[in-house]
Amino acid sequence: MGKQLKKTHLHEFHKKTAKMTEFAGFEMPLWYRGIIPEHMAVRNTVGIFDITHMGRALITGAKSEAFLNYVTTNDVTALSPLSAHYSNICNEQGGIKDDFVLSRLEQEKFLIVYNAANRTKDYEWLVKHATPFNVKVEDVSDNIAMFAVQGPNAQKTLQKIADLDLSKIERFKCGWTKLIGVECFVSRTGYTGEDGFEVFVWNTPLTNPANAVKVWNAILEAGRELGIEPCGLGARDTLRLEAGMCLYGNDIDETTTPLEAGLGFVVKLKKDSFIGKEALTKQKVEGIKRKRVGLTMMKKGPSPRPNYEVWKGNEKIGHITSGTFSPILERGIAMAYVSVQHATEGNILTVKIRDKLAEAQIVKFPFYDPTKYGHARLK
Amino acid sequence: MRVLDYEIPDKLYYSKEHEWVQIEGNEAVVGITDYAQKQLHEIVYVEVQKIGSNIEQFQTMGTVESVKSVSDLFAPVSGKITKINQELAESPELLNQDPYGKGWLARISLADLRKDLKKLLTSKQYADFIKEIEE
Repeated sequence: MGKQLKKTHLHEFHKKTAKMTEFAGFEMPLWYRGIIPEHMAVRNTVGIFDITHMGRALITGAKSEAFLNYVTTNDVTALSPLSAHYSNICNEQGGIKDDFVLSRLEQEKFLIVYNAANRTKDYEWLVKHATPFNVKVEDVSDNIAMFAVQGPNAQKTLQKIADLDLSKIERFKCGWTKLIGVECFVSRTGYTGEDGFEVFVWNTPLTNPANAVKVWNAILEAGRELGIEPCGLGARDTLRLEAGMCLYGNDIDETTTPLEAGLGFVVKLKKDSFIGKEALTKQKVEGIKRKRVGLTMMKKGPSPRPNYEVWKGNEKIGHITSGTFSPILERGIAMAYVSVQHATEGNILTVKIRDKLAEAQIVKFPFYDPTKYGHARLK
Repeated sequence: MRVLDYEIPDKLYYSKEHEWVQIEGNEAVVGITDYAQKQLHEIVYVEVQKIGSNIEQFQTMGTVESVKSVSDLFAPVSGKITKINQELAESPELLNQDPYGKGWLARISLADLRKDLKKLLTSKQYADFIKEIEE
């Protein structure tokens, strides 16, 4: 209490219908009907999340590609207009400053969407490094509302109110469309493992939320017969964890590198100079000492939680960074960093849960069966 | 009685940690209140100390986990655990569905009821306590 929490355009809706929580300085919905029914709606039908708390910045200028190639780890040259990719910003030591999705709007215009908790840090870092490239970095977080519409019925739901043929937008592609007459940018991306879109309601300042509210309500209405649920941050976390996606501040931070986190696929060491390249090249040559792995509990029971110790025999080999009850597997799952010599798929480890040891097996991400759930499920 | 959104049966005693106590002769049945289960929401795991364990009033007697959180369960009375609700291992959601009935936690052989009662609340007092914390 006391300090003033930031609110999103949908605050009135959330306050009336959700259990609220504080997250990264925002008052956000934790759950509406409950984490489990919301989670299951996204896996089986469709859910909508207000994710306006995330940070958004536009990067424009003739050298914006060169600038982004310098401050981020992925290959921005390979990103064609109306495409998006996942990437990292690292510090000089190769530690992860943030993870984010970058969309190329035009040849010389990019939209970066980063973590709510890192809004100020990222913006300042980008601005600091932008000068030599003469690019403009503009924080548009407060002028764009952002929703995620996720699940196997996401496209069907949005298509009812979209003027663009959404089937033409492939995974990690983007486009401009009107939704219920309101200009929106949509990208086929998300943080749940499912098919779905992230919707950016353009030019909608917090002081004039009408268009954001209109689009939100229209999506809920369109999704009604398709099983839509409004979803809070609770389900957002269990969904991303089941999908094996990192949460900044838990699973990755400035003391972990993309190579340790299993995010090597977004580090393009063949690129010209970029921040962190030397440190990451050295680590790649020398080999990592610890690695992020997925753990599934062998039995139903207590769930692994952040900071719980991970053991192999009599040796402590790491710790949990995220852990929860998985609604799909109906048991505990976790991400942990463990010594690389033990980080083999199938290996059985023990997690110290309070005063007891419980067995857990190293599994590959995602935690669920990808033929049954997730964007690559068999239709 | 019903206070705000919460059921508070009249004949039980309550702790400020939101456990209830039903006295049955020299024994007591204990559980968590409707308020507690609504705050915890979606309970997915419950663990109570073993039968035969001696517990002290207001000391930890177990753990309850919701999807997102882990909370201690505090003994509302002192004594020895004589029975635990075995159904909770398979169906922890009983705590949400029926906190005063099928969601009971344990049966306790009382050590000193008279002493414990001084530190427990009547339903009326607990109702006032709930109103206080909800405001």
